[in-house]
Amino acid sequence: MLLEDPLALARLQFAFTAATHYMFVALTLGLAPYILFTQFVAALRGDRSRMLSVRFWGGLYLVNYGMGVLSGLVMELQLALNWSGIQETFGYTFAAPLAIETMTAFFVESTFLGLWIFGWDRMGRWAHLFCFLVVSLTAYGSAWWVLVSNGFLRHPVGFEMVDGVAHLSDPMALVTNPAAVFAFLHVVTGAMTVGALVVAAVSAYHLRRGQDEHGIFRRGIRYSAIMMCVMPMLVVGFGGAQFQIFGQDPPTSGLTYTAEEIATIEASGGGGLVAVANLTGDVVMMTSWAVMFFLGPLIPLFLPLLSARRGRWGRRLGLAPGPELFSRPPARWIRWALAPLLVSPALPYLASIGGWVYRETNRQPWVVVHHLTTADAMTPMSPAAALASFTFFTLAFTVLAVVTYTLLFRYARRGPEGGPLAERRADADPGADEPAAPVHTF
Amino acid sequence: MDLLSVPSPSALLLALFVVGYLVLAGADVGLGMLMPHVARSPDQRRRVVASIAPYFLASEVWLVAAVGVMAGMFPELEHLVVARLWPVLVVLLAGWLLRDAGLWFRARVDTPRWRGLCDTAIVAGSWTLAVSWGLAVAGLLTDGLSPSPFPVLCTITVVCLFALRGAAFGAERLVGPFEAESADVAARATRSLARFALGATIATVLAAPWSGGPSPTSLGAAVTLAVVLAAALALTSGLTGPMFSRHTSALAIAIPGLLVASTAGLPTSGLPGTTAVFVWSMLLPVVPVMLLGQVWLYRMTRRPATGATFFA
Repeated sequence: MLLEDPLALARLQFAFTAATHYMFVALTLGLAPYILFTQFVAALRGDRSRMLSVRFWGGLYLVNYGMGVLSGLVMELQLALNWSGIQETFGYTFAAPLAIETMTAFFVESTFLGLWIFGWDRMGRWAHLFCFLVVSLTAYGSAWWVLVSNGFLRHPVGFEMVDGVAHLSDPMALVTNPAAVFAFLHVVTGAMTVGALVVAAVSAYHLRRGQDEHGIFRRGIRYSAIMMCVMPMLVVGFGGAQFQIFGQDPPTSGLTYTAEEIATIEASGGGGLVAVANLTGDVVMMTSWAVMFFLGPLIPLFLPLLSARRGRWGRRLGLAPGPELFSRPPARWIRWALAPLLVSPALPYLASIGGWVYRETNRQPWVVVHHLTTADAMTPMSPAAALASFTFFTLAFTVLAVVTYTLLFRYARRGPEGGPLAERRADADPGADEPAAPVHTF
Repeated sequence: MDLLSVPSPSALLLALFVVGYLVLAGADVGLGMLMPHVARSPDQRRRVVASIAPYFLASEVWLVAAVGVMAGMFPELEHLVVARLWPVLVVLLAGWLLRDAGLWFRARVDTPRWRGLCDTAIVAGSWTLAVSWGLAVAGLLTDGLSPSPFPVLCTITVVCLFALRGAAFGAERLVGPFEAESADVAARATRSLARFALGATIATVLAAPWSGGPSPTSLGAAVTLAVVLAAALALTSGLTGPMFSRHTSALAIAIPGLLVASTAGLPTSGLPGTTAVFVWSMLLPVVPVMLLGQVWLYRMTRRPATGATFFA
């Protein structure tokens, strides 16, 4: 029975936490470069309409980031609490990159994001841009170190066993691990497609209603068009490059178990739900990327429809509606043409989750391939405690994820005027028009 | 091996992150606990959240870093902490999640019911965090939690220290543009909380030699720290206002962290050289950026924002 098996519960809980976390992380990584670029151009030109765009996408970024942090905290702590067997043996190798991540990436990212949120009216535009630059760089730094850790599980390298504990012997091997480097590039390019198609979907929604006075959404489609021509190819390339280590024994194989023991463990551990999940993940991922690979490069076809300049041919074919028409809905057929973009983000999200399920189930029954089984990695816990923890965190995560997505949809639909970072009008906030200096009583 | 006799740089780093967390997050967790007491009107509650909001992100990263250091550099210690405190840590995590969710979501829906729900999450989460920290400190000072007076009194003391830190912080930060009622309430609370905390500290020290109490590796360090704590609290209980309590409450809440670090005899040795060199060589170049961010944020938000921000 599933509910009485702490191992099954702990595994399900971690899978659920990681999947939820990645849904939000992917959008964080995907939106950050676009916001950074837009804010850079806005600062360079002193362009108000681009700054509105930064406030709009930045609002969505923050709502999404909140849930990314919440799930990330739970994930880090859960790794320590429920899977202490990994740390016991592989703390110095597997968790060392995570230690670096928490200090050099997350610590800095969260602090500078606070500076960015509270610095809108308190610092110069270049200082404010610098804050977001640091946020973007550390977001990618975070992804890098996490994938160094994750790659180690798949392809453990660079250590020797001393009294049953793995001691790092070659840090270079750890950071040049092909299972980490290609996974990082694969994940990063995949996240960029998530970002590009979310931008495309939100932009299409507003363009279909003819709401684009500031050009925010025309630029969104343009960004997405460029990204979707380049990124799917890279994603598929870096994904394929990872297959080189499939079926290959890690170089450290044999340090913990002999070849016969490994064969016995692998023979007894396969099958069931994990195999089904593995196959499903594989199929979903491959199908979604194939669709994006072939259809992504079609997005530039939207550009002439949205061009602000209406040339001779445009007029003759009834294409480009021209700038004056962006305050009312475009022609019906343009609305229909934009409709597929509305649902397009489903593809990269499905592909990402499918890809992670495939990657993580692929190394079962091992948690560290050829060294530690998932069952041995778990903290001993009572079924009741495991069930209580599983129930609470699953429920809490479901509620929080639903709330976050509801908010994201709502803010995306409201547009640049209604976002959480939108400039407050004086009449909307009665307290803001009387800026009295705070009085300290002490 | 304890930190005072062999302070390896990595062990000091871990202690720094834990103590930094207690001092910085103590302020916003403590104020979250006191919200029902210091804020009565919707605007006052908004101001409490607005005071917490600039700091909670920048202070919880200290704990995340501590967990990272513990996992990557002291796996033996982590194993011990998890084995001893699994239920406490799960509850701590649940409280943390609840509290942060309340803070992130509060300003997102503009109805009194939603704000009430989020405020409840913030208050309940803050209390859960403080109580879990009390239990964690007690569990680390003794050999695991036992049903005896010391863990209970130790928990009460730690909870009081969190509340005191929050009151001192609130007395400074809750000054509104037109009135300072909640700041005054918080300022008055520092005195009574300090007295109560002093009583709890003395009771904890008296309970220590009995069964279920701690067995410090260095009695001298433990006594010195307890005396410093009592002195800081005595100083706070004689004064009102945030001027001194800001510093004394920070010193007071650092003591439980320092006590655990120096007298609990936690296993913080055996870090292999290669891992240490690897982590430190990645960490050192980033230290200036970490400091810049923290100092910049605290300086920039010295004056509370007058208008609405992302969080409140």
